Parts: sequence; structure tokens; C-alpha cells
Amino acid sequence: MSAAEDQAAVEKVLSGDNSAFEGIVRRWQGPLVNLAYRFCRDPSRAEEMAQEAFLRAYRSLSRWRREAAFSTWLFAVATNLYRSELRRIPVRTVPLDDVVEPMDQQPIDGDLQAGDRDRAVRRSVFALPPKYRETLILFYFHGMDVASTARSLALPVGTVKARLSRGRAMLRSKLSQQLIPLQLRKEAR
Amino acid sequence: MRDDDLDRILSSQQEIIPSSGFVDAVMDAVRHESETPPPMPFPWKRALPGLFAACFALMSVFVAGITPFTRGTPTWPLPAGLLSSLDLILQAWKTVGASWIALALIVSLASVKLSMRLVSGQV
Repeated sequence: MSAAEDQAAVEKVLSGDNSAFEGIVRRWQGPLVNLAYRFCRDPSRAEEMAQEAFLRAYRSLSRWRREAAFSTWLFAVATNLYRSELRRIPVRTVPLDDVVEPMDQQPIDGDLQAGDRDRAVRRSVFALPPKYRETLILFYFHGMDVASTARSLALPVGTVKARLSRGRAMLRSKLSQQLIPLQLRKEAR
Repeated sequence: MRDDDLDRILSSQQEIIPSSGFVDAVMDAVRHESETPPPMPFPWKRALPGLFAACFALMSVFVAGITPFTRGTPTWPLPAGLLSSLDLILQAWKTVGASWIALALIVSLASVKLSMRLVSGQV
């Protein structure tokens, strides 16, 4: 389904044909569920959040201005919902020490293993303050496209760039505190 | 850790596939939503004159009620202890301008309630 088909489906829904909304759901279910998953790291909660996002989009279809692509508007609606949903019920984070022993045995960066480091990075993203965490999540979800991230967050591009820079700096700082004990623990074995 | 490493790790996120019943669940919710009649808006145009009249009547009763105490001439006999307590309360009430504070609180509460209703689209 192309952008034109999205628009045609929206017109049909607005004229009373609700079944046309199914095409929109089929096309965008993957991206919306995966975006929710990046926010909450829980597959079943991600589906619930994505369902609510589709419902919210359905309710406010008439407010979509055709200046922006339908997908841009849909992501903005979903992002807004996911942010407020996670502020209402935050993601439960586990301390780094409680991480289950890694299955990945491929060495990288000396003794530290890739699985450990990747998990530490993702965990650290969730430890960031919401405004930096949300910006980083959306930036990587949109394939490192600052403009799309800015549109989803309804923020100026400059603000997004500043948050990305600050978020990355905080992430590096957190990781340097977390990865060194992890490295030492490996070496002690 | 360099930005390139962060970019690589955070870009390679695990993807999940929506469950097979996801589309049906969303469409069921959409159908339910479309069948549910929209909430009936509060009839502000009809209610406002009544609300204003009620507020005016309330204020009138309030003013009529406290006037005798402030003048020190009660219209009905009250025990001396109760009268002096009421007098003290009224003096304190007047000193701090409690009537205005109460009015301001009521107006603030009403405006907050109205704003919340407007935001939630119930008006």
C-alpha cells in the first residue's frame, strides 16, 4: 500500500466505510508494534499499546492534515500515546548485576562479549531521563533520520539534535561505569 | 565507547512480529468504537443562565446570612458563647478576606474543570 492508497483508505473511512481501516492496520501493524516494543520491551504490552494507537488514530482521522504524509501523522499519534502510556506505567528496569548470564560466547573488545555489551547499552538507554530516552529510541527506529524523529516528537530539529548529543554523552558516561565492572568480573573468572 | 558503536548496537534492535489475531483485535475495537454513540455534550447554552442564577442566589443567601452578624444585631436569639465564637470566626474571615479567597478558589476550580472537559472533547 502506497501513500496514495493510505490516503484513499482514509477517505473511505471518513465517508463511513470502516472496513477500509483494516488496510491501514495491516500495513502499519509491524512498525507500530515494533515502535511500541522499543519503548516498553514487552511484546504483549507493545501490542496493547499499538492497538490503542490505532484506535486513537481512527478516532482522530479527520484531524489529519494532508500536508504531512499519513505515516508521519500516524507515528506522531503513536509516539504521543506511547510516551504518555510509559509515563503512566513506567517500564520496570532490572539492575545490571541481575542480568542473566549471556548465551553469546563470541568475544569482542578483548574479553568482554558482544551480547553483554549490547544488553548493557540497551539497558542504559532505559536508565536515561525520558526526554533523552524517547529521542534516542525514535532516532534509531527511524533509521537515524533526525527530521523524522523531530516530526514524531513534534519538536524542532535543533532540539532533537541537542537531545541526541546530550543523550549519547549520558549513555557513554553510564556505560563507562557499567562496562568496567562487567569486564573485571569476566577477568576474575 | 564511540558513537559508531552506539549507532551499530542501537540500530540492530530485535524486531517482533505482531500476533496473528492483532488485526482482528484492532478491527473489533474499531467496530465497537463506531457502534458506540458519541458522548452527549453538556448543554452549556441552556445550563449557563441557570448556573449564574444559582451562583447569584447562593451569594445572596450568604451575604444575607452574614450581614446580621457583622452588624452585631442577630435576628434570632443565640447563646452568648456561640455568638462570641461566631463573631470571632467572622472577624477572622473578614480579616483574611476569606470570601474573596473562596470565590477565587471556586472560579479556579470551575475553569480547570471546564478546560479538562474541553481537552477531553466532552464539550
